[in-house]
Amino acid sequence: MKSRHRNIALAALRVASVVAINVGITYLCSRVVSLNSTAVGFVYLLAVLIMATTWGLIEATVASLVSVLCLNFFFMPPVGTFTIADPQNWIALVTFLATAIVASQLSNHAKQRAQEAEGHRLEMERLYALSRAILLTEPAQPTAKQIAHQIAQIFDCRGVALYDRISGETHQAGPEDMPAIEEQLSESALQGTLFSDESTLTTVTAIRLGGQPIGSLAIRGISLPDTALQALANLVAIGLEKERGREAAGRAEAARQSEELKSTLLDAIAHDFKTPLTSIKAAASALLSTPRARPDEERELLTVVDEEAERLAQLVTEAIHMARIEAGQIQLNKGLHRVESLVSRVLQERKSLTEGRTLNVHISSSLPMIVVDPELMDLAIRQLLDNALKYTPAACPVSITARRDEKNILISVRDEGPGIPERDQARIFEKFYRGRNTRSGVTGTGMGLAIAREIMRAHGGDISLKSSVGHGSEFSMSLPMPAEERKA
Amino acid sequence: MSGGRILVVDDDAQIRRVMRTTLVTHSYEVDDARSGEEALEKMRTDQFDLVLLDVNMPGMGGVEACRVIRSGRSGFDLAIIMLTVRNTEKDKIEALDAGADDYVTKPFSTPELLARIRAALRRMPQTAGTVPQRIKLEEGTEIDFQSRHVSTRGRNVRLTPKEFDLLRYLVIHPNKTIEHRELLQAVWGPDYGDELEYLRVFVNQLRKKIEPDPANPRYLLTEPWVGYRFYLPE
Repeated sequence: MKSRHRNIALAALRVASVVAINVGITYLCSRVVSLNSTAVGFVYLLAVLIMATTWGLIEATVASLVSVLCLNFFFMPPVGTFTIADPQNWIALVTFLATAIVASQLSNHAKQRAQEAEGHRLEMERLYALSRAILLTEPAQPTAKQIAHQIAQIFDCRGVALYDRISGETHQAGPEDMPAIEEQLSESALQGTLFSDESTLTTVTAIRLGGQPIGSLAIRGISLPDTALQALANLVAIGLEKERGREAAGRAEAARQSEELKSTLLDAIAHDFKTPLTSIKAAASALLSTPRARPDEERELLTVVDEEAERLAQLVTEAIHMARIEAGQIQLNKGLHRVESLVSRVLQERKSLTEGRTLNVHISSSLPMIVVDPELMDLAIRQLLDNALKYTPAACPVSITARRDEKNILISVRDEGPGIPERDQARIFEKFYRGRNTRSGVTGTGMGLAIAREIMRAHGGDISLKSSVGHGSEFSMSLPMPAEERKA
Repeated sequence: MSGGRILVVDDDAQIRRVMRTTLVTHSYEVDDARSGEEALEKMRTDQFDLVLLDVNMPGMGGVEACRVIRSGRSGFDLAIIMLTVRNTEKDKIEALDAGADDYVTKPFSTPELLARIRAALRRMPQTAGTVPQRIKLEEGTEIDFQSRHVSTRGRNVRLTPKEFDLLRYLVIHPNKTIEHRELLQAVWGPDYGDELEYLRVFVNQLRKKIEPDPANPRYLLTEPWVGYRFYLPE
């Protein structure tokens, strides 16, 4: 209502200005420069055309009428009266009026066209900006929310509400809240109907994709032509569909990764078990195929069979431990043990792997006895040693160190290998994670370090890594110092 | 008398131990290496007739080592057998593509491995047919059967023993389609016959060496589902 009053006041002001301008022209032409009636007629016509292009048809028509009256009263004989003596002047006056009105209509028409073209340009610009914004939506936030926000910003409207039928969520944006819009939105999305409310300048339209409504959009504060509204709804449909595509691709990627993980795991298990099996099978089949083998050959092959059967048994035990730890069921069979004997047991078990490698072992003589589960501690130390041997070239030395500081007993395995890139260090203790550079070539389950950490934590300790590319890696297991030692 | 010099390359000490014991019993001279790098180092100073190469090793793996061996100067005179726990078509083709002559899946039985070793070391008897000393193909490609050299457009490439045997068998029977099984048994030995992927890989490698345009072969022709034929202009 306010704006209507304002419009009337504005029109009245303009009409008053029109009259004032005409009065001004009349004063100038009659008193200051004294022109004849033909010249004055052209000056009035010029003023009418300018008003038609700058203000509008009403103002120009009023100006035409006032000009005719002024021309008649002030410039056509008998001057000072509205009487016209010469019939030719009648023709002149009517022609003037007709010319002024036709010319003002034409120029007003041209002005309207220019305004329409400007309006189209603006619409195109805004739709383009929106399509760009939809292409650049961030995966971190819901696309519907980002689209609503972008529409409010780009179309400069008071309020926007976007309803996504599949997720059932409504996202609002813009300075004005639309509290009762949800019902209309869901109806529009369901029926595909269009609502518009003139009083609040609100339009609600369905968003369709392939003929099916997939949501609805409410816009408040601007009135868009049907074509622009349709184009806007289509852009939003594409934006929502893009998000669905992204979600589907994400799910497919997750499924692919899980498949890859399973096959890596199976590969690693197959490799670990098949290695001792290969030796056993090769040795046993060699013995069977040579009935009269030399005693020393026979003994050598049987020793391999025996040792490898032991290794298989150990692998099975390890697999059972791993399955238990993986299921969160660690049971500790604690006893009092010397660090030195734990380390040497692991070295004995891993003799075939360490053969030919440079291995430095430093065990501090001041270490107290520790209370641990020996089998699980073995398993943890073995994981670190195996990794150091597996992931470094044969010429790289590996060292095992056991020492103490004030609060902990530290057992470290250090290698001089290629080191672990920083981006892998943060995730290396995660289950199934394998460093990017190691995925091909060396088999592994990606479980070893996760298991070693679980074992250490079950003992109240932890495990840490220091490494830099090109300078090797050091994994340290820490165990809390026994209470009586700390006091001492 | 030695049946040949064999280099066993495997990171697992026990497998090396079994191989060494059994191969020595079967009159081969044996040396071993723990990794691809160590194998290459040994091959620089020593001559071998055959390399048993494990695929999964820390550092340089078997496939890469195989490629390096084949690209070396003496890499064409020896046979290479790959050992691996994987048994998929893709893994086999990768190994053969790298230049291996044969492929054995772990766990294997010793008699089987010995048969494969014999097949790999076996050369096709020279009396199997009359083979020309050299043949000249169009566009300047010349195959010298005496020195196992192929010169084509100024480039000089050598054939591995198995590639050479395969080509020789086809050239002995020019313009005649040889069935897959016959080719496999003639070149690899009587225990073979179903390893079509071996032929596919070896024929592709031969094409790269002798054909002017390997994608559209003119001499080494495939007869789909049947075998291969060597086209020799009369």
